[in-house]
Amino acid sequence: MQHHIANKIYHVEVLPPKQNSEKLDEDLERFDMKYRMVLDAGYCVCITDNSMGHLAFQGTELIEELDLPVDSDQIMIHLNTFHSKEDFDGILTTCIDRGVQHLLVVSGDGNERLPRLEPEEIGYPEVTVVTSVELLKYIEREYPGKFNLGVAFNPYEPEQHEFEKLQRKVDAGAKYIITQPLIGRNEIVDKMKGRFKLPVVVEAWMSKKLHLLSECVGYEIDENIEYDPIAALQNLHEIYPDCGVYLALLGYKTQFPLLKDIWV
Amino acid sequence: MKIVVCIKQVPGTHEVRIDPETKRLVREGVEAIMNPFDTYALEQGVLLREAHGGEVIALSMGPKKAEETLREAIACGADQAILLNSRAFAGSDTWATSYALSMAIKKIGDVDLVICGKQAIDGDTAQVGPGIAAHLDLPQATNASAMGEVTDTTANVTRMHEDGYDICEVDLPAVVTVVKDINSPRIPSLKGRMAARKAVITVWNEEDISADPKLLGLDGSPTRVVETNPPPARHSNTMVIEGEPQECAKKLVHELRIRTLV
Repeated sequence: MQHHIANKIYHVEVLPPKQNSEKLDEDLERFDMKYRMVLDAGYCVCITDNSMGHLAFQGTELIEELDLPVDSDQIMIHLNTFHSKEDFDGILTTCIDRGVQHLLVVSGDGNERLPRLEPEEIGYPEVTVVTSVELLKYIEREYPGKFNLGVAFNPYEPEQHEFEKLQRKVDAGAKYIITQPLIGRNEIVDKMKGRFKLPVVVEAWMSKKLHLLSECVGYEIDENIEYDPIAALQNLHEIYPDCGVYLALLGYKTQFPLLKDIWV
Repeated sequence: MKIVVCIKQVPGTHEVRIDPETKRLVREGVEAIMNPFDTYALEQGVLLREAHGGEVIALSMGPKKAEETLREAIACGADQAILLNSRAFAGSDTWATSYALSMAIKKIGDVDLVICGKQAIDGDTAQVGPGIAAHLDLPQATNASAMGEVTDTTANVTRMHEDGYDICEVDLPAVVTVVKDINSPRIPSLKGRMAARKAVITVWNEEDISADPKLLGLDGSPTRVVETNPPPARHSNTMVIEGEPQECAKKLVHELRIRTLV
């Protein structure tokens, strides 16, 4: 991941079409277009896994069905605990077959229709619930050396708790860290960077609707607040020149063409 | 095995509205989904086919729009789907509906197992599965929470009760209605969705299934909805625990313990 930072490779989130899409063809076409745009620009495509609990198609099946090109260094698949064991192993096997190396391992948001991995079935009966820590251990144990595993860091959670959690993730095999969206400098992230000597990627919120982050940051953000995502991104680069940047909710028409002139 | 799974398209909302004039559900402007219990029935059918071979046929009665739900069933693993669609079916109660479905099952022929969700979330009657069994004169096992050994002639079924469960062996062909404990329904794959879009849904009317029109629709329905009322509001019993954090945590654990929740 350090290589991504050194080479100014953005991590660009591309949301997969939802399961209940009424315009599946259009959504698939749009996904295909965005995926190739990101790849062609030399950035890293990051595909979410049922983000916010919304049922969506898996990154691996989209790559297979749409026959999308894979550059091992330019794709990151998110992977969470809400899978059956069979599906989970199927995703990992497809990743290996297709040459996907970078995984972002998270606990994830559930949905009543999604199964959840049970501790016993992945060999950790001592825990009550499978978290990203057990996923990391499992992947490291069953697929040694096959993946470059990253984890999430949430600076808006109680500090001590989040640091302990991150330590467990690092002990379990995490090789890089991606933060929740940052609005300017964050002291907890600064501390985390000092404490964990791993590549850090900070998330930039690219939607103008900053108030949508209220739940994430834990305080109410005024709906009428003016927010310039491009200026905020430039600011993040200045504050964290040694970090990578993950772009969430990027506008492909207006914002994407500007990226090449921002991180230079 | 030839397995028929009965599927109903229902409004995907908990805020079901009733037309005061017709006493029927208002379906306009409401997202339509596969009845959640039917997703378990379908999964059970697909699991049995995976284990024993054969085919799974999804069967539904409803408006043309119900084809969407049948396509979802194909995306989830059904081999083919049949929709009973005709004005003659409109207004059918559970007895007339189960008659129509049973006639379709007869037409399909050589069916080993009919699987239904225990009930639909809109009507909540739990009568259609047993109704099909009655019309076809088949044995039935309702509220199945597990299925054990299945042979060419019998199926081992665990039935859930309020007080526990019983394990029974039912002769095939039979009708089984299932509860949510029976399995974890799969999410359709993209490949499945793509295939389902191209699938041809067979549409049958009353003549196709040789049904007696007098036993369908309002004429064939011995029940009438004469009045509807919302259920009485549930009394919430909220306990607020106040005090220092440690003290609160102690009280919380105590309350959970006396309810045997921890």
